[in-house]
Amino acid sequence: MTTPCIDLRNVRCDIGGRTVLDIAQLRVAPGERVAVIGHNGAGKSTLFRLLTGFMAPTQGSAQVLGRDLGRGLGARELRLLRQEVGQVMQGLHLVGRLSVRDNVQIGALARVPGWRSWARVFPAGEVARAEAALQQVGLLARAGARADQLSGGERQKAGVARMLVQGPRLILADEPTAALDPAAAAEVCQLLAASAAGATLITVVHNPALLPVLARRVIGLRQGRIAFDLPVDEVGDRQLLDLYRPADQEPVAHWHISTAPLRAPISESTP
Amino acid sequence: MVHLPRHPWASGRLGFGALGLVYAALVVACVWTLLAEGDLSVGRAPLANLAKTLGEFAYPSFLDVWFGNPRLEYTSDDGTVLRVENRQQVEADYLAGLARATWTTVRIATLGSLLGAVLALPLAVLTARNLAAPRALAIAAKAVLDTLRSIHTLVFGLVLVGIVGLGPTAGILAIGLHSMGTYGKLFAEAIESLDMAAIHAVQGVGASRTQVFFNAVWPTVLPQFVSAHLYIWEFNIRDSTILGIIGAGGLGLLISEATSLFQWDRLATVLLVVVLLVASFDAMSRRIRKALA
Repeated sequence: MTTPCIDLRNVRCDIGGRTVLDIAQLRVAPGERVAVIGHNGAGKSTLFRLLTGFMAPTQGSAQVLGRDLGRGLGARELRLLRQEVGQVMQGLHLVGRLSVRDNVQIGALARVPGWRSWARVFPAGEVARAEAALQQVGLLARAGARADQLSGGERQKAGVARMLVQGPRLILADEPTAALDPAAAAEVCQLLAASAAGATLITVVHNPALLPVLARRVIGLRQGRIAFDLPVDEVGDRQLLDLYRPADQEPVAHWHISTAPLRAPISESTP
Repeated sequence: MVHLPRHPWASGRLGFGALGLVYAALVVACVWTLLAEGDLSVGRAPLANLAKTLGEFAYPSFLDVWFGNPRLEYTSDDGTVLRVENRQQVEADYLAGLARATWTTVRIATLGSLLGAVLALPLAVLTARNLAAPRALAIAAKAVLDTLRSIHTLVFGLVLVGIVGLGPTAGILAIGLHSMGTYGKLFAEAIESLDMAAIHAVQGVGASRTQVFFNAVWPTVLPQFVSAHLYIWEFNIRDSTILGIIGAGGLGLLISEATSLFQWDRLATVLLVVVLLVASFDAMSRRIRKALA
Protein backbone atom coordinates (compact mmCIF):
# COMPACT_ATOMS: atom_id res chain seq x y z
CA MET A 1 0.00 0.00 0.00
CA THR A 2 1.22 3.49 -0.76
CA THR A 3 1.94 5.93 2.03
CA PRO A 4 -1.36 7.43 3.09
CA CYS A 5 -1.80 11.15 2.60
CA ILE A 6 -3.11 11.45 6.12
CA ASP A 7 -2.60 8.93 8.88
CA LEU A 8 -3.89 9.76 12.36
CA ARG A 9 -3.70 7.28 15.22
CA ASN A 10 -5.09 7.86 18.70
CA VAL A 11 -4.76 11.57 18.21
CA ARG A 12 -6.05 13.83 20.96
CA CYS A 13 -6.01 17.64 20.96
CA ASP A 14 -6.72 19.59 24.13
CA ILE A 15 -7.36 23.30 24.29
CA GLY A 16 -7.38 24.79 27.75
CA GLY A 17 -7.80 21.39 29.39
CA ARG A 18 -10.78 20.49 27.19
CA THR A 19 -10.53 17.74 24.63
CA VAL A 20 -11.67 19.15 21.30
CA LEU A 21 -10.48 16.36 19.05
CA ASP A 22 -10.13 12.66 19.83
CA ILE A 23 -9.62 10.44 16.82
CA ALA A 24 -8.86 6.74 17.19
CA GLN A 25 -7.87 6.28 13.56
CA LEU A 26 -8.16 8.18 10.32
CA ARG A 27 -6.45 7.31 7.08
CA VAL A 28 -6.86 9.15 3.82
CA ALA A 29 -5.22 7.78 0.69
CA PRO A 30 -3.61 10.06 -1.93
CA GLY A 31 -6.15 11.45 -4.36
CA GLU A 32 -9.14 10.71 -2.17
CA ARG A 33 -12.05 13.15 -1.97
CA VAL A 34 -13.33 13.42 1.58
CA ALA A 35 -15.99 15.63 3.15
CA VAL A 36 -16.00 16.36 6.86
CA ILE A 37 -19.33 17.30 8.38
CA GLY A 38 -20.50 18.00 11.91
CA HIS A 39 -22.07 20.69 14.04
CA ASN A 40 -20.21 23.84 15.11
CA GLY A 41 -17.48 22.97 17.58
CA ALA A 42 -17.39 19.34 16.52
CA GLY A 43 -13.66 19.66 15.86
CA LYS A 44 -13.62 20.25 12.11
CA SER A 45 -11.50 23.39 12.22
CA THR A 46 -9.27 21.89 14.90
CA LEU A 47 -8.68 18.93 12.60
CA PHE A 48 -7.58 21.33 9.86
CA ARG A 49 -5.35 23.29 12.21
CA LEU A 50 -3.77 20.01 13.22
CA LEU A 51 -3.22 18.93 9.63
CA THR A 52 -1.52 22.22 8.71
CA GLY A 53 0.72 22.25 11.76
CA PHE A 54 -0.87 25.29 13.34
CA MET A 55 -1.63 23.08 16.32
CA ALA A 56 0.29 20.11 17.69
CA PRO A 57 -1.53 17.01 18.90
CA THR A 58 -1.57 16.67 22.69
CA GLN A 59 -0.92 12.97 22.19
CA GLY A 60 -0.95 10.32 19.51
CA SER A 61 0.70 10.04 16.12
CA ALA A 62 -0.25 12.29 13.22
CA GLN A 63 1.33 11.94 9.80
CA VAL A 64 0.54 14.23 6.92
CA LEU A 65 2.16 13.64 3.52
CA GLY A 66 4.71 11.42 5.22
CA ARG A 67 5.71 14.02 7.80
CA ASP A 68 5.24 13.30 11.46
CA LEU A 69 3.43 16.16 13.19
CA GLY A 70 3.46 14.40 16.57
CA ARG A 71 6.97 15.38 17.56
CA GLY A 72 6.59 19.01 16.56
CA LEU A 73 8.08 20.04 13.23
CA GLY A 74 10.85 22.61 12.95
CA ALA A 75 10.10 25.92 11.22
CA ARG A 76 11.69 24.72 7.98
CA GLU A 77 9.94 21.36 7.89
CA LEU A 78 6.66 23.06 8.73
CA ARG A 79 7.13 25.38 5.75
CA LEU A 80 7.91 22.47 3.47
CA LEU A 81 4.73 20.75 4.66
CA ARG A 82 2.58 23.85 4.23
CA GLN A 83 3.93 24.31 0.72
CA GLU A 84 2.22 21.06 -0.18
CA VAL A 85 -1.01 21.71 1.70
CA GLY A 86 -3.37 24.13 -0.01
CA GLN A 87 -6.04 25.83 2.03
CA VAL A 88 -9.27 27.48 1.03
CA MET A 89 -11.03 29.01 4.00
CA GLN A 90 -14.37 30.63 4.61
CA GLY A 91 -13.91 34.17 3.27
CA LEU A 92 -11.75 36.97 4.62
CA HIS A 93 -8.50 35.09 4.27
CA LEU A 94 -7.11 37.35 1.62
CA VAL A 95 -4.81 40.26 2.42
CA GLY A 96 -7.41 43.00 2.00
CA ARG A 97 -5.11 45.79 0.93
CA LEU A 98 -3.32 43.85 -1.77
CA SER A 99 -4.68 43.41 -5.27
CA VAL A 100 -6.30 40.15 -6.34
CA ARG A 101 -3.24 39.38 -8.47
CA ASP A 102 -0.86 39.92 -5.52
CA ASN A 103 -3.04 37.69 -3.37
CA VAL A 104 -3.01 34.93 -5.94
CA GLN A 105 0.77 35.21 -6.30
CA ILE A 106 1.13 34.67 -2.57
CA GLY A 107 0.54 31.03 -3.48
CA ALA A 108 3.97 31.04 -5.16
CA LEU A 109 5.90 32.51 -2.20
CA ALA A 110 7.48 29.22 -1.25
CA ARG A 111 9.07 28.98 -4.70
CA VAL A 112 10.19 32.60 -4.93
CA PRO A 113 13.03 33.40 -2.55
CA GLY A 114 14.58 36.69 -1.52
CA TRP A 115 13.85 40.27 -2.42
CA ARG A 116 11.46 39.41 -5.26
CA SER A 117 9.00 37.95 -2.79
CA TRP A 118 9.42 40.94 -0.46
CA ALA A 119 8.83 43.54 -3.13
CA ARG A 120 6.18 41.36 -4.82
CA VAL A 121 8.07 41.45 -8.11
CA PHE A 122 7.51 37.89 -9.27
CA PRO A 123 9.36 36.20 -12.13
CA ALA A 124 7.54 36.07 -15.45
CA GLY A 125 6.73 32.38 -15.15
CA GLU A 126 4.94 32.88 -11.84
CA VAL A 127 3.07 35.91 -13.17
CA ALA A 128 1.85 33.84 -16.11
CA ARG A 129 0.83 31.07 -13.76
CA ALA A 130 -1.17 33.49 -11.61
CA GLU A 131 -2.88 34.88 -14.71
CA ALA A 132 -3.76 31.38 -15.84
CA ALA A 133 -5.21 30.58 -12.43
CA LEU A 134 -7.23 33.80 -12.45
CA GLN A 135 -8.45 32.93 -15.92
CA GLN A 136 -9.47 29.47 -14.76
CA VAL A 137 -11.60 30.82 -11.89
CA GLY A 138 -12.96 33.63 -14.07
CA LEU A 139 -11.42 36.51 -12.13
CA LEU A 140 -8.91 37.81 -14.67
CA ALA A 141 -10.96 40.95 -15.25
CA ARG A 142 -10.76 41.77 -11.53
CA ALA A 143 -7.04 41.08 -11.16
CA GLY A 144 -6.20 44.70 -10.39
CA ALA A 145 -8.96 45.25 -7.83
CA ARG A 146 -8.18 45.39 -4.14
CA ALA A 147 -9.09 42.15 -2.41
CA ASP A 148 -11.29 43.86 0.16
CA GLN A 149 -13.51 45.13 -2.64
CA LEU A 150 -14.42 41.68 -3.90
CA SER A 151 -17.77 40.06 -3.29
CA GLY A 152 -17.96 36.90 -1.18
CA GLY A 153 -18.02 34.61 -4.19
CA GLU A 154 -15.12 36.42 -5.86
CA ARG A 155 -13.06 36.11 -2.68
CA GLN A 156 -13.53 32.37 -2.60
CA LYS A 157 -12.58 32.18 -6.25
CA ALA A 158 -9.46 34.22 -5.53
CA GLY A 159 -8.72 31.78 -2.71
CA VAL A 160 -9.07 28.87 -5.14
CA ALA A 161 -6.77 30.65 -7.61
CA ARG A 162 -4.16 31.17 -4.89
CA MET A 163 -4.40 27.46 -4.12
CA LEU A 164 -4.00 26.64 -7.83
CA VAL A 165 -0.81 28.70 -8.00
CA GLN A 166 0.47 26.91 -4.93
CA GLY A 167 -0.12 23.51 -6.59
CA PRO A 168 -0.51 21.44 -3.42
CA ARG A 169 -0.76 17.67 -2.98
CA LEU A 170 -3.35 18.01 -0.24
CA ILE A 171 -6.16 20.56 -0.33
CA LEU A 172 -8.06 21.52 2.78
CA ALA A 173 -11.20 23.57 2.22
CA ASP A 174 -12.81 24.84 5.41
CA GLU A 175 -16.43 25.73 4.67
CA PRO A 176 -15.45 27.37 1.39
CA THR A 177 -19.10 28.16 0.65
CA ALA A 178 -20.27 29.32 4.08
CA ALA A 179 -21.02 32.90 3.13
CA LEU A 180 -22.19 32.30 -0.43
CA ASP A 181 -25.61 32.13 -2.06
CA PRO A 182 -26.56 28.70 -3.45
CA ALA A 183 -25.57 29.48 -7.03
CA ALA A 184 -22.16 30.86 -6.07
CA ALA A 185 -21.66 28.01 -3.60
CA ALA A 186 -22.27 25.43 -6.32
CA GLU A 187 -19.94 27.29 -8.69
CA VAL A 188 -17.10 27.49 -6.16
CA CYS A 189 -17.54 23.81 -5.30
CA GLN A 190 -17.38 22.79 -8.97
CA LEU A 191 -14.26 24.90 -9.38
CA LEU A 192 -12.69 23.38 -6.30
CA ALA A 193 -13.47 19.83 -7.39
CA ALA A 194 -12.20 20.50 -10.91
CA SER A 195 -9.01 22.27 -9.81
CA ALA A 196 -8.11 19.61 -7.26
CA ALA A 197 -7.02 17.40 -10.19
CA GLY A 198 -4.99 14.57 -8.71
CA ALA A 199 -4.59 16.08 -5.26
CA THR A 200 -6.27 14.85 -2.13
CA LEU A 201 -9.25 17.07 -1.33
CA ILE A 202 -10.72 17.38 2.13
CA THR A 203 -13.66 19.73 2.50
CA VAL A 204 -15.76 20.88 5.41
CA VAL A 205 -19.30 21.51 4.19
CA HIS A 206 -22.65 22.09 5.81
CA ASN A 207 -24.90 21.73 2.82
CA PRO A 208 -25.58 18.00 2.20
CA ALA A 209 -26.52 18.77 -1.40
CA LEU A 210 -22.89 19.69 -2.10
CA LEU A 211 -21.47 16.46 -0.70
CA PRO A 212 -21.57 14.47 -3.97
CA VAL A 213 -19.86 17.29 -5.85
CA LEU A 214 -16.90 17.36 -3.50
CA ALA A 215 -16.51 13.91 -2.01
CA ARG A 216 -16.68 10.15 -2.39
CA ARG A 217 -16.31 9.60 1.34
CA VAL A 218 -17.97 11.42 4.21
CA ILE A 219 -16.68 11.65 7.76
CA GLY A 220 -19.11 12.79 10.46
CA LEU A 221 -17.48 14.48 13.44
CA ARG A 222 -19.37 14.81 16.70
CA GLN A 223 -17.88 16.28 19.86
CA GLY A 224 -14.37 15.71 18.57
CA ARG A 225 -14.89 12.05 17.66
CA ILE A 226 -15.58 10.33 14.38
CA ALA A 227 -19.26 9.43 14.43
CA PHE A 228 -19.30 7.76 11.05
CA ASP A 229 -17.07 7.27 8.03
CA LEU A 230 -19.11 6.25 5.00
CA PRO A 231 -19.16 6.38 1.22
CA VAL A 232 -21.09 9.43 0.13
CA ASP A 233 -24.04 7.54 -1.29
CA GLU A 234 -24.65 5.81 2.05
CA VAL A 235 -25.04 9.07 3.94
CA GLY A 236 -28.73 9.80 4.31
CA ASP A 237 -31.07 11.86 6.44
CA ARG A 238 -30.73 9.40 9.27
CA GLN A 239 -26.98 9.86 9.68
CA LEU A 240 -27.29 13.60 9.30
CA LEU A 241 -30.10 13.91 11.84
CA ASP A 242 -28.15 11.79 14.28
CA LEU A 243 -24.98 13.79 13.70
CA TYR A 244 -26.58 17.18 14.17
CA ARG A 245 -28.83 16.29 17.14
CA PRO A 246 -28.31 18.47 20.23
CA ALA A 247 -25.60 17.32 22.61
CA ASP A 248 -28.02 16.42 25.41
CA GLN A 249 -30.25 14.28 23.21
CA GLU A 250 -30.07 10.50 22.95
CA PRO A 251 -29.06 9.01 19.59
CA VAL A 252 -31.83 8.48 17.08
CA ALA A 253 -31.32 4.74 17.52
CA HIS A 254 -28.93 2.40 19.22
CA TRP A 255 -26.85 2.46 16.19
CA HIS A 256 -23.14 2.14 15.91
CA ILE A 257 -21.02 1.97 12.83
CA SER A 258 -19.32 -1.23 13.95
CA THR A 259 -22.42 -3.17 15.09
CA ALA A 260 -25.42 -1.88 13.21
CA PRO A 261 -26.28 -2.45 9.57
CA LEU A 262 -25.26 0.54 7.53
CA ARG A 263 -28.78 1.05 6.22
CA ALA A 264 -30.98 0.66 9.25
CA PRO A 265 -34.70 1.11 8.60
CA ILE A 266 -35.87 4.65 9.36
CA SER A 267 -38.97 3.29 11.13
CA GLU A 268 -36.94 2.06 14.12
CA SER A 269 -38.35 3.84 17.17
CA THR A 270 -36.41 6.22 19.35
CA PRO A 271 -35.69 4.62 22.72
CA MET B 1 -18.58 28.27 26.13
CA VAL B 2 -16.87 30.16 28.93
CA HIS B 3 -18.49 33.43 29.86
CA LEU B 4 -16.35 35.91 31.65
CA PRO B 5 -18.26 37.20 34.67
CA ARG B 6 -19.05 40.86 34.21
CA HIS B 7 -18.55 43.09 37.15
CA PRO B 8 -22.03 43.76 38.55
CA TRP B 9 -21.26 47.44 39.24
CA ALA B 10 -20.15 48.11 35.72
CA SER B 11 -23.07 46.55 33.94
CA GLY B 12 -26.70 47.33 33.33
CA ARG B 13 -28.73 50.48 33.63
CA LEU B 14 -28.34 50.63 37.39
CA GLY B 15 -24.56 50.73 37.08
CA PHE B 16 -24.72 53.37 34.36
CA GLY B 17 -27.11 55.48 36.46
CA ALA B 18 -24.77 55.21 39.44
CA LEU B 19 -21.82 56.34 37.32
CA GLY B 20 -23.92 59.27 36.12
CA LEU B 21 -24.65 60.26 39.71
CA VAL B 22 -20.97 60.08 40.65
CA TYR B 23 -20.13 62.32 37.69
CA ALA B 24 -22.84 64.85 38.63
CA ALA B 25 -21.57 64.87 42.22
CA LEU B 26 -18.02 65.58 40.99
CA VAL B 27 -19.19 68.53 38.86
CA VAL B 28 -21.19 69.97 41.76
CA ALA B 29 -18.22 69.56 44.11
CA CYS B 30 -15.94 71.42 41.67
CA VAL B 31 -18.29 74.37 41.29
CA TRP B 32 -19.19 74.53 44.98
CA THR B 33 -15.63 74.47 46.33
CA LEU B 34 -14.50 77.08 43.81
CA LEU B 35 -17.40 79.33 44.82
CA ALA B 36 -16.62 78.78 48.51
CA GLU B 37 -13.03 79.84 47.91
CA GLY B 38 -14.25 82.89 46.01
CA ASP B 39 -12.23 81.92 42.96
CA LEU B 40 -15.07 81.79 40.50
CA SER B 41 -15.12 85.51 39.75
CA VAL B 42 -14.69 87.22 36.38
CA GLY B 43 -12.91 90.35 37.57
CA ARG B 44 -14.21 93.88 38.08
CA ALA B 45 -15.23 95.05 34.63
CA PRO B 46 -15.23 92.03 32.37
CA LEU B 47 -17.46 93.54 29.70
CA ALA B 48 -15.48 96.75 29.37
CA ASN B 49 -12.22 94.78 29.23
CA LEU B 50 -13.68 92.45 26.65
CA ALA B 51 -14.76 95.35 24.47
CA LYS B 52 -11.34 96.98 24.73
CA THR B 53 -9.47 93.79 23.88
CA LEU B 54 -11.79 92.97 21.03
CA GLY B 55 -11.33 96.48 19.68
CA GLU B 56 -7.57 96.00 19.54
CA PHE B 57 -7.91 92.52 18.08
CA ALA B 58 -10.22 93.88 15.41
CA TYR B 59 -7.34 95.75 13.78
CA PRO B 60 -4.57 93.15 13.26
CA SER B 61 -1.16 94.79 12.92
CA PHE B 62 -0.47 93.45 9.42
CA LEU B 63 -3.03 95.86 7.97
CA ASP B 64 -0.51 98.63 8.68
CA VAL B 65 1.66 97.27 5.87
CA TRP B 66 -0.82 98.97 3.54
CA PHE B 67 -2.76 101.39 5.71
CA GLY B 68 -0.10 102.42 8.23
CA ASN B 69 1.17 105.95 8.53
CA PRO B 70 4.47 106.17 6.60
CA ARG B 71 5.57 109.11 8.78
CA LEU B 72 4.34 108.46 12.28
CA GLU B 73 5.89 111.11 14.52
CA TYR B 74 6.51 110.48 18.16
CA THR B 75 6.50 113.85 19.88
CA SER B 76 7.22 114.88 23.43
CA ASP B 77 4.89 117.09 25.44
CA ASP B 78 6.50 120.30 24.24
CA GLY B 79 6.03 119.37 20.59
CA THR B 80 9.57 118.37 19.67
CA VAL B 81 9.72 115.39 17.35
CA LEU B 82 11.48 112.52 19.11
CA ARG B 83 11.33 109.90 16.39
CA VAL B 84 9.73 109.34 13.03
CA GLU B 85 8.57 105.84 12.23
CA ASN B 86 7.47 104.35 8.94
CA ARG B 87 4.65 102.12 10.20
CA GLN B 88 4.42 100.31 6.84
CA GLN B 89 8.12 99.40 6.95
CA VAL B 90 8.01 98.32 10.60
CA GLU B 91 5.06 95.98 10.09
CA ALA B 92 6.52 94.57 6.88
CA ASP B 93 9.65 93.69 8.84
CA TYR B 94 7.46 92.12 11.50
CA LEU B 95 5.72 90.00 8.87
CA ALA B 96 9.10 88.80 7.59
CA GLY B 97 10.00 87.78 11.15
CA LEU B 98 6.65 86.08 11.44
CA ALA B 99 7.33 84.04 8.31
CA ARG B 100 10.67 82.90 9.72
CA ALA B 101 9.02 81.97 13.03
CA THR B 102 6.32 80.00 11.18
CA TRP B 103 8.99 78.05 9.33
CA THR B 104 10.72 77.32 12.64
CA THR B 105 7.45 76.06 14.10
CA VAL B 106 6.87 73.81 11.09
CA ARG B 107 10.41 72.45 11.39
CA ILE B 108 10.01 71.75 15.11
CA ALA B 109 6.71 69.93 14.56
CA THR B 110 7.97 67.95 11.58
CA LEU B 111 11.22 66.74 13.08
CA GLY B 112 9.69 66.23 16.52
CA SER B 113 6.90 64.09 15.06
CA LEU B 114 9.33 62.01 13.04
CA LEU B 115 11.53 61.50 16.08
CA GLY B 116 8.54 60.43 18.17
CA ALA B 117 7.34 58.02 15.49
CA VAL B 118 10.73 56.36 15.08
CA LEU B 119 11.26 55.99 18.82
CA ALA B 120 7.71 54.73 19.41
CA LEU B 121 7.72 51.94 16.80
CA PRO B 122 9.75 49.35 18.76
CA LEU B 123 7.76 50.07 21.92
CA ALA B 124 4.49 49.67 19.98
CA VAL B 125 5.64 46.29 18.69
CA LEU B 126 6.34 45.27 22.29
CA THR B 127 2.94 46.43 23.57
CA ALA B 128 0.74 45.06 20.76
CA ARG B 129 -1.16 42.24 22.42
CA ASN B 130 -1.46 40.02 19.35
CA LEU B 131 2.33 39.83 18.94
CA ALA B 132 2.65 38.48 22.49
CA ALA B 133 6.01 39.95 23.44
CA PRO B 134 7.46 38.75 26.77
CA ARG B 135 5.12 40.04 29.45
CA ALA B 136 7.70 41.95 31.46
CA LEU B 137 8.92 43.79 28.36
CA ALA B 138 5.36 44.57 27.28
CA ILE B 139 4.48 46.02 30.66
CA ALA B 140 7.69 48.07 30.78
CA ALA B 141 7.11 49.43 27.26
CA LYS B 142 3.52 50.32 28.07
CA ALA B 143 4.62 52.08 31.27
CA VAL B 144 7.16 54.15 29.31
CA LEU B 145 4.57 55.12 26.70
CA ASP B 146 1.93 56.00 29.31
CA THR B 147 4.41 58.11 31.28
CA LEU B 148 5.54 60.02 28.20
CA ARG B 149 1.97 60.64 27.10
CA SER B 150 0.93 61.99 30.50
CA ILE B 151 3.72 64.59 30.65
CA HIS B 152 2.83 67.72 28.72
CA THR B 153 5.00 68.95 25.87
CA LEU B 154 5.55 72.25 27.71
CA VAL B 155 6.89 70.44 30.77
CA PHE B 156 9.29 68.46 28.60
CA GLY B 157 10.23 71.72 26.90
CA LEU B 158 11.00 73.52 30.16
CA VAL B 159 13.20 70.68 31.34
CA LEU B 160 14.93 70.29 27.97
CA VAL B 161 15.66 74.02 27.61
CA GLY B 162 17.65 73.62 30.81
CA ILE B 163 19.54 70.67 29.32
CA VAL B 164 20.16 71.53 25.65
CA GLY B 165 19.69 75.29 25.89
CA LEU B 166 17.24 77.68 24.25
CA GLY B 167 16.17 77.05 20.68
CA PRO B 168 14.39 74.63 18.37
CA THR B 169 16.37 71.57 19.52
CA ALA B 170 14.58 71.65 22.87
CA GLY B 171 11.28 72.01 21.03
CA ILE B 172 11.98 69.07 18.71
CA LEU B 173 12.94 66.82 21.61
CA ALA B 174 9.92 67.92 23.67
CA ILE B 175 7.49 67.23 20.82
CA GLY B 176 9.18 63.92 20.08
CA LEU B 177 9.09 62.69 23.67
CA HIS B 178 5.50 63.64 24.34
CA SER B 179 4.07 62.40 21.06
CA MET B 180 5.99 59.13 21.40
CA GLY B 181 3.34 58.07 23.88
CA THR B 182 0.50 58.77 21.47
CA TYR B 183 2.37 57.23 18.54
CA GLY B 184 3.00 54.07 20.55
CA LYS B 185 -0.68 53.75 21.35
CA LEU B 186 -1.86 54.30 17.77
CA PHE B 187 0.83 52.07 16.24
CA ALA B 188 0.00 49.29 18.68
CA GLU B 189 -3.68 49.60 17.77
CA ALA B 190 -2.80 49.35 14.08
CA ILE B 191 -0.81 46.20 14.73
CA GLU B 192 -3.59 44.76 16.88
CA SER B 193 -6.13 45.33 14.11
CA LEU B 194 -4.18 43.02 11.78
CA ASP B 195 -6.30 40.27 10.24
CA MET B 196 -4.61 37.24 11.80
CA ALA B 197 -6.63 34.89 9.58
CA ALA B 198 -5.05 36.42 6.48
CA ILE B 199 -1.61 36.14 8.07
CA HIS B 200 -2.26 32.48 8.84
CA ALA B 201 -3.37 31.99 5.25
CA VAL B 202 -0.07 33.40 3.99
CA GLN B 203 1.87 31.27 6.48
CA GLY B 204 -0.29 28.42 5.23
CA VAL B 205 1.26 28.42 1.76
CA GLY B 206 4.67 27.86 3.32
CA ALA B 207 5.90 31.45 3.33
CA SER B 208 8.90 32.36 5.48
CA ARG B 209 8.68 34.90 8.29
CA THR B 210 10.07 37.73 6.20
CA GLN B 211 7.72 36.82 3.36
CA VAL B 212 4.76 36.89 5.73
CA PHE B 213 5.92 40.27 6.98
CA PHE B 214 6.29 41.83 3.52
CA ASN B 215 3.21 40.23 1.97
CA ALA B 216 0.67 40.34 4.78
CA VAL B 217 1.79 42.54 7.69
CA TRP B 218 3.50 45.48 5.99
CA PRO B 219 0.87 46.27 3.31
CA THR B 220 -1.84 46.19 5.97
CA VAL B 221 -0.07 48.17 8.65
CA LEU B 222 1.79 50.78 6.58
CA PRO B 223 -1.25 52.88 5.56
CA GLN B 224 -2.42 52.93 9.17
CA PHE B 225 1.03 54.02 10.33
CA VAL B 226 1.10 56.82 7.77
CA SER B 227 -2.39 57.88 8.78
CA ALA B 228 -1.45 57.96 12.47
CA HIS B 229 1.73 59.87 11.62
CA LEU B 230 -0.19 62.55 9.70
CA TYR B 231 -2.71 62.86 12.51
CA ILE B 232 -0.10 63.40 15.20
CA TRP B 233 2.02 65.62 12.95
CA GLU B 234 -1.04 67.80 12.45
CA PHE B 235 -1.59 67.85 16.21
CA ASN B 236 2.06 68.77 16.77
CA ILE B 237 1.87 71.70 14.37
CA ARG B 238 -0.78 73.06 16.71
CA ASP B 239 1.23 72.12 19.79
CA SER B 240 4.49 73.65 18.62
CA THR B 241 2.92 77.07 18.05
CA ILE B 242 2.94 77.45 21.83
CA LEU B 243 6.42 76.02 22.47
CA GLY B 244 8.17 79.32 21.81
CA ILE B 245 6.73 80.65 25.05
CA ILE B 246 9.30 78.60 26.95
CA GLY B 247 12.11 79.63 24.65
CA ALA B 248 12.02 76.91 22.04
CA GLY B 249 11.61 79.40 19.21
CA GLY B 250 8.96 79.76 16.57
CA LEU B 251 5.53 81.36 16.70
CA GLY B 252 5.23 80.91 20.46
CA LEU B 253 8.07 83.37 20.97
CA LEU B 254 6.10 86.02 19.08
CA ILE B 255 2.96 85.16 21.02
CA SER B 256 4.65 85.58 24.37
CA GLU B 257 6.32 88.81 23.16
CA ALA B 258 2.99 90.27 22.00
CA THR B 259 1.16 89.30 25.18
CA SER B 260 3.81 90.69 27.51
CA LEU B 261 3.84 94.00 25.64
CA PHE B 262 0.01 94.04 25.44
CA GLN B 263 0.26 94.36 21.63
CA TRP B 264 -3.07 92.74 20.91
CA ASP B 265 -3.00 93.88 17.28
CA ARG B 266 0.20 91.94 16.75
CA LEU B 267 -1.14 88.96 18.68
CA ALA B 268 -4.11 89.03 16.31
CA THR B 269 -1.74 88.82 13.33
CA VAL B 270 0.18 85.92 14.87
CA LEU B 271 -3.00 84.04 15.77
CA LEU B 272 -4.32 84.50 12.22
CA VAL B 273 -1.18 82.82 10.94
CA VAL B 274 -1.58 80.03 13.50
CA VAL B 275 -5.16 79.42 12.42
CA LEU B 276 -4.25 79.44 8.73
CA LEU B 277 -1.30 77.12 9.28
CA VAL B 278 -3.22 74.63 11.38
CA ALA B 279 -6.31 74.70 9.17
CA SER B 280 -4.39 74.20 5.94
CA PHE B 281 -2.33 71.36 7.44
CA ASP B 282 -5.54 69.84 8.80
CA ALA B 283 -7.16 69.91 5.40
CA MET B 284 -4.13 68.42 3.67
CA SER B 285 -3.62 65.67 6.19
CA ARG B 286 -7.31 64.78 6.21
CA ARG B 287 -7.28 64.44 2.43
CA ILE B 288 -4.27 62.16 2.46
CA ARG B 289 -5.64 60.08 5.32
CA LYS B 290 -8.93 59.69 3.49
CA ALA B 291 -7.14 58.54 0.36
CA LEU B 292 -5.24 55.98 2.43
CA ALA B 293 -8.33 54.45 4.05
